Amino acid sequence: MCLSRRGPSGGQAHDPAVATLIASFTGADCLVYGIGNVGRQDDGLGWAYVDWLEASGAAGVATLHRGYQLVLEDADLLRPFARVLFVDATKDPAVDLAALSRPEPLADVPFSSHALTVPTLLATARLCFDAEPEAWLLALRGHSFDLEVGLTPGARASLAAAGVGASSR
Amino acid sequence: MSRRIVIDPVTRIEGHGKVVVTLDEDHRVADARLHVVEFRGYERFVQGHPYWEAPVLLQRVCGICFVSHHLAGAKALDDMVGVGRAITPTAEKVRRLGHYAQMLQSHTAAFFLLSAPEMLFGVDAPPEVRNVVGLVEADRALVTRVVLLRKWGQEILQTLYGKRMHGINSVPGGVQKGLTVAERDRFLRGEDGVPSMDAVLDQAQDALRLFADFHERHRAMVDAFAPVPMLNMGLVDAAGDADYYDGRLRVVGPAREVVAEMDDHDYLDHFSEAVEDWSYLKFPFLKAFGREQGSVRVGSLARLNVTRHLSTPLADAELQRFHAYSDGMANARTLHGNWARAIELLHAAEVVRDLLHDPDLQGTDLVVDPGPDAWTGEGIGVVEAPRGTLIHHYRADDDGAITFANLIVATTQNNEVLNRTVRAVAEQELSGRSEITEGMMNAIEVGIRAYDPCLSCATHALGQMPLVVSVYDAAGGLVDERVRG
Repeated sequence: MCLSRRGPSGGQAHDPAVATLIASFTGADCLVYGIGNVGRQDDGLGWAYVDWLEASGAAGVATLHRGYQLVLEDADLLRPFARVLFVDATKDPAVDLAALSRPEPLADVPFSSHALTVPTLLATARLCFDAEPEAWLLALRGHSFDLEVGLTPGARASLAAAGVGASSR
Repeated sequence: MSRRIVIDPVTRIEGHGKVVVTLDEDHRVADARLHVVEFRGYERFVQGHPYWEAPVLLQRVCGICFVSHHLAGAKALDDMVGVGRAITPTAEKVRRLGHYAQMLQSHTAAFFLLSAPEMLFGVDAPPEVRNVVGLVEADRALVTRVVLLRKWGQEILQTLYGKRMHGINSVPGGVQKGLTVAERDRFLRGEDGVPSMDAVLDQAQDALRLFADFHERHRAMVDAFAPVPMLNMGLVDAAGDADYYDGRLRVVGPAREVVAEMDDHDYLDHFSEAVEDWSYLKFPFLKAFGREQGSVRVGSLARLNVTRHLSTPLADAELQRFHAYSDGMANARTLHGNWARAIELLHAAEVVRDLLHDPDLQGTDLVVDPGPDAWTGEGIGVVEAPRGTLIHHYRADDDGAITFANLIVATTQNNEVLNRTVRAVAEQELSGRSEITEGMMNAIEVGIRAYDPCLSCATHALGQMPLVVSVYDAAGGLVDERVRG
């Protein structure tokens, strides 16, 4: 499977190795964290990905987690894990279907009171708890975010690009 | 040349808002408004659904105070099925436990994420320092305690509601689940990384300590920052003191005198709503006082202005200091809203402690059956959410399908005070200045964040919430623009 990859340099490439990397989050030291709101159409992409992992068993013994948004106590949640995969919807038009990046701990300026960014959460976990998991962010392109339950066809294509529906990861 | 300064959207508040400040040719503030640019629309979303789904669906309005929406909805359904306030003691106490646990963790986030960075580093501090990571670097132990305090409150919610967000416990006429002894003891004694009740009571005073230190070092600025006299509203019990779950709506004036009081079901008899063509958000006001004088403030500052006492000893002692500081008058100082939030945080922790020691939580009488003829088809539920008075009003047809839903959220109640606060800050910080600095812009946001508004729980997709600051001339031409993020 090919997946559009966005690395730390910001470049993109179609790379089967990316799918292999995502599929490697199966151990007990792994956390897959789906972010989103299933009541807002494609904002439910993060949860839909976790739903598929749960139903298919493709995540092995990894811990699966769903969150509406990242919150401060998630810094504590990360503590026991060596590797973390965050999965979230994106509105970024530069992402065709799905993009994988390697977020670094960083203090973002424009954060909401209630929703931390992945880099800020990683920085908080590192500074508060000396927790430095290998973190990846899978961004799935969403197209519509209205008040409705259910993904758009475009969002389903994003999920498919990330391997959802495949017989194995 | 007059200039128009636009902050769009306001950072660090839920959803999208936009601040527009118009300066005249002498650089004085001609106008200042908070625009709300996103419409929520949940009231239509729920129509046609079975009545019992309303508290389940409508709690998704918010990812932070979902318990408040769930409880306001549950209370409305108590009305609708004919139970009214006659739920069992166990059911009421379980609901209160969730409500105050949410108050604790919501106030913790609002205080330490929104306000504490400015308290430690100053409003003028560079944005790259004035954030939660800067806070961690400055005081790792404090933020670690904050994380664990949040976690404790969240674990209570997860225990009661089955999951940490948007779970279900309340049903028409009661609750589905109480608290077992083992669950209770986990929160009293602390285990599995969850702090003990004693530790929580200590950590719940961190906000008060931080505010006191900030206030001591910057008293003149804190006290003079954008005071906005308003009427104040909150729920009170039979004795006239604050009750965050149930009671009568009381409104007090500048001397904390009662100017209006009503059964919470009669809200719409006393209030009207004004509409402005520049905002999606309505402007509620007391009919008896009119559009200009009748708007009320809700939330922490308002509630402490309304109440004479809090029901727990540590918080009540702090409340008396709070009242004494304003010589018993209503406190109109915008940044004292952070003080009020800190007092309420402690109060919430004390109430949770008292509830955890109450054996009614282990009761088995969870739901009242109203009988087949009690159905009313209409219900109103009111609670004090972390940000202020929250009202859910539903009607359903004889088949139980929702035909009408109206949500009046705290941020709508605070729409007028938010706009007046923006204006007051702009006049203080921007008037007469020829150059607009980052600190001035942030000061406007500080005024807004004091109310921790939830303009709309927008989606949280990646790449949202940039800050764009634009300056226009009188002809609408762009003079300057600043993009943050």
